[in-house]
Amino acid sequence: MISREICQRVLQKAVATGADYAEIFAENTVNHTISMLADKVDAIKDAVVTGAAVRVYKGLRSVMATTVDTSEAGLIRCAEKAADALGEGTAQINIVLRESIFGDIHPVKIVPSSVSNRQKIEILKEGYFAAREYDEAVQKVTGSLLDVDHNILIANSEGLYTEDRQIRTRMSIGAVASRGSDSQTGFFGPGRLGGLEMFDIYTPRSVGEESARQAVTMLKADYCPAGTMPVAIDNGFGGVIFHEACGHSLEASAVAYGRSQFTGKLGQKIANEKVTAIDDGTIPGAWGSINIDDEGTPARKNVLIENGVLKSYMIDKFNGRRMGMESTGNSRRQSYAYTPTSRMTNTYIAPGTDTREDIISSMEYGLYARNMGGGSVNPVTGEFNFAVSEGYIVRNGKICEPVRGASLVGNGSEIIMNIDMVSDNLDLGQGMCGSSSGSIPVNVGQPLIRVSSITVGGR
Amino acid sequence: MDFNAFKEAVIAKAEAMGITEYELYYQASESTGVGAFQHEMNDFTSSLEGGVCFRCIVGGKMGYASTEALNPEQAASIVEKAADNARFLESDEQVFLSEGGKTYEKLDFTPYALPTTDELIRSVMDTQEKLYASDAAVIDGCSTQGLSGRSEIAIYNSKGLDLHYENTMAGLVVASVVTNGKEMSNDYQIKLGKLDTIDTEKLTAKATEGALRKLGGDPAPTGQYPVVFNSEAMSDLLATFSGIFSSGAAQKGLSRLADQEGEVIAAPCVTLVDDPFHRENPMPINFDAEGSPTHKKNVIEKGVLKTLLYNLKTAAVAGKETTGNASKGNYDSPVSISPFTMYLEGGELTEEQLLQKAGNGVYINSLGGLHAGANDITGDFSLQSAGFLIENGKKTVPVKSFTVAGNFYELLKNIDSVSDHTEIPSAMGMTAFGAPSVLVNGLSVAGK
Repeated sequence: MISREICQRVLQKAVATGADYAEIFAENTVNHTISMLADKVDAIKDAVVTGAAVRVYKGLRSVMATTVDTSEAGLIRCAEKAADALGEGTAQINIVLRESIFGDIHPVKIVPSSVSNRQKIEILKEGYFAAREYDEAVQKVTGSLLDVDHNILIANSEGLYTEDRQIRTRMSIGAVASRGSDSQTGFFGPGRLGGLEMFDIYTPRSVGEESARQAVTMLKADYCPAGTMPVAIDNGFGGVIFHEACGHSLEASAVAYGRSQFTGKLGQKIANEKVTAIDDGTIPGAWGSINIDDEGTPARKNVLIENGVLKSYMIDKFNGRRMGMESTGNSRRQSYAYTPTSRMTNTYIAPGTDTREDIISSMEYGLYARNMGGGSVNPVTGEFNFAVSEGYIVRNGKICEPVRGASLVGNGSEIIMNIDMVSDNLDLGQGMCGSSSGSIPVNVGQPLIRVSSITVGGR
Repeated sequence: MDFNAFKEAVIAKAEAMGITEYELYYQASESTGVGAFQHEMNDFTSSLEGGVCFRCIVGGKMGYASTEALNPEQAASIVEKAADNARFLESDEQVFLSEGGKTYEKLDFTPYALPTTDELIRSVMDTQEKLYASDAAVIDGCSTQGLSGRSEIAIYNSKGLDLHYENTMAGLVVASVVTNGKEMSNDYQIKLGKLDTIDTEKLTAKATEGALRKLGGDPAPTGQYPVVFNSEAMSDLLATFSGIFSSGAAQKGLSRLADQEGEVIAAPCVTLVDDPFHRENPMPINFDAEGSPTHKKNVIEKGVLKTLLYNLKTAAVAGKETTGNASKGNYDSPVSISPFTMYLEGGELTEEQLLQKAGNGVYINSLGGLHAGANDITGDFSLQSAGFLIENGKKTVPVKSFTVAGNFYELLKNIDSVSDHTEIPSAMGMTAFGAPSVLVNGLSVAGK
């Protein structure tokens, strides 16, 4: 993308006013989206995102300048801007770059950009019409097939010069089932860090059917009753509870500034002993995986909580300085235009020893949340919320009628203490996580778990 | 190359390919951001962003392609890609490009001069100190951000449209973090405008007050109550469900307001306005994303749905004129529909009178999880809330970590009354929402 020699000159310019660290992040990304609506291909879009950011640090101060002009002159201007903003001083470091190749543990078999629109449309239609034809109540379906070819280059004053290519593919099908004036929705959107071979794992048909099944099931459902009760949350996207209730509060962007419930709690028991939680950016082909993070640190598997004890935060280089800790390979950004910060990759609660049967039969009266919508959290207070998109009442240890419109709210530090049963059927679910460094692909995950008591919003 | 040179290269390529109907949409911005933590500046950003979206009509279909790199290769590539994308489209909806030669309302503003970098830094550091001074409960973790920038939009098409818009924006964001020794809480305030016109004393005090009032408090008791949403909470709710007023959603069967124009859809006290020139919006604009002239209109008038929001395509489907509400989330987004400043008009009661009318219920000043706990197709919502109990017509103890649930379509009809003061709490871009305090009867609250 940009030669080692140019990077060297740009970094030298960036440290000219006394920075103790400098970095170039350059990107060339092509997003391709095909969308369907009303049984027809409705939109096809290509978008090229290209540009670079130069960051410099001096102590606990960070300066970033971005540009869409990636010529040497454009990059030098960008570096000058960053250096000027840092203040007055003289160069303290001499830049010598060495190329590093970290290797790719996420092989791509079918690169989407090599496949014609015609073939991609066929795949999308298979998923779309599987939803449409699932039941006569399914009257509206939306579908999209997204592929992203994200190429990044990172060079820094520590001598790093490296590149990575991340190819992602995702199919999303949304279904609306209607009867009279009543409508309910379903959604399924699996994705992989990989190419079109993802449809060997998730057949397009199964994606459409799952979306339609949710919508049709919820059409039969009554509103969820409100109250405080035990809740069993199923595997896969159910892991959004850990992501919101705890994950964001373990990011250095909150912890380093004292804006987290879990600041200063390393080594302490913060969760039920049944809970072991992991952030792992190295799972081959997983939606939230990366070879290297956006500061060039190789991805790794970090145990965040082990048997209830806080073991690690998720840390990027800049916030790591404030905390006096090393990066954990969690620095991520949507694009060069965002300042990177500590973010999650594939975050999940590890399998436990309870069984699915144990958990359901343990509940006299409660909610079984089979599918979850999104959620959000305020890491300062720990207050979180998320939506249950497919729920069922559990009565006398049996899953009974479906209920709609439920949401779960609570406080993160209390809820992770209340996760008192963890089963063994771990699965991951895909999402886009939005935060200060933009919208990034992440996996959430868990086996079926039981929360002994949580506020269920309904009516 | 600059936009004009890029435009010429695109035109030449389009002509060479025999494409006669096309449009270029250009958006660019230059911005500076400064952040303070504790008593120091800890981050500084300077960004140049922007790109061009090319769309063209080939065989009656509209294909899109966009790029951030303005160079001759990309000029050729986006024309080829857009034309190729158009070839695979199946939708038989008519597509449109705006005709040139329209009359546009004169904008009543001049972009203000931006602060220098030093002025911006000084203002941020000074505000950060005021934030610490606003209350003894304020702790490290609080922060101040300053921003300053210039943005530009241009639309050029093959039908003679050639529009240009430029604006400047500066402002401060203060985030207060407070503690009572047992727990922490936070709140933030945003104020845009020329920096020396911002009352930073008031801004920091407001953020800290917001944080303090969230300390303590238990969930509200579960039950059905009259609920008063303050203007912030009501604006958030309106923003979340604003998509139901889009004719695009209605025509796709994704809004229940299809065929409801002229019908009563809300209580008589409800008048909903959309104003592209609202004085509190930092980005007043006289053309929409398709280049159509914009204008102020009532969407709901005394409970009656007067009009949905239209762009060229949806207006043609309905046999109407566009309302000038075409929008693009970003330069590379397809044309969609959005309001500009959409707000509920105020009524006659003061907020105190509204509380008296509620009698016993819940006052909500903060809603969370709006992207997750609300379904804009069905209108159902179940949202994390915080506020106060209303007892005998007065706000009493703080409550939090409970949910309020209902259906937005029903809520519009169940609005009992609105207060006399409409606020636009956080106008950050072209689209903003506002509301007075609103009393709604019979909503479900789930707490303890």
